[in-house]
Amino acid sequence: MDYITSKDLELVALLQQSHHPAAGAVVLFSGDVRNNNVGKMVDFLEYEAHTSMASKMIESILNDARKRWNLNIAVAQHRTGKVRITESAVVVITASAHRAEAYAANRYIIDRIKHEAPIWKCEFFTDGTKEWGGNCNCHKDTGNINKHIYEFEDIL
Amino acid sequence: MKIEVFAILKEYFDKEFEIKDQLKTVEELRAHLEFLNPASSDVLKICRFAVHDEFVADHYPLTGSDNVVVIPPSSGG
Repeated sequence: MDYITSKDLELVALLQQSHHPAAGAVVLFSGDVRNNNVGKMVDFLEYEAHTSMASKMIESILNDARKRWNLNIAVAQHRTGKVRITESAVVVITASAHRAEAYAANRYIIDRIKHEAPIWKCEFFTDGTKEWGGNCNCHKDTGNINKHIYEFEDIL
Repeated sequence: MKIEVFAILKEYFDKEFEIKDQLKTVEELRAHLEFLNPASSDVLKICRFAVHDEFVADHYPLTGSDNVVVIPPSSGG
């Protein structure tokens, strides 16, 4: 499966493929495009990626999560190109014996993809303006462009 | 060396271009890019650089045949 794709994310099909006989919990996260950001109405988003680097990075993040939470299934896919309101820009599916691991691993994977993978969004607003935005600003707090503050750390 | 930029950096540079100046390190390349377009300075300061699909540090030694990728902070998801 491609980690980066310009095609629509097939959430239902991916979920159907993510059941496992040893897994009692399956968690699916879909990062959907919403119609507003920082008080402005959003028309659509366009995503760009460094495909080979982002793919390698997502694979590595999934492998880390598999080992850390002993997952049965770990899947992630991110869109590129134009993504419309309510469409899915990124999907993460985790399956494990119990729900705690599936939830925790899922947050870990999406957090790391958002902070680390070379993928960028350009927001196109309904007023005709556009902006490359929503980027990781962790360096302002950590003082290091390679050090991030992850949401998943709050729940570990 | 060949340079490729992404996302917001495309507002300051061509998507791909070549630099003929002999630049020895990533640090020198960053400074050179800032010289070429001073308005890009704030963004370049928080960019990572990659060669052969691997991130490289400021002191990484560059050669004229390198393809260097300039990676702004991520904003996926």
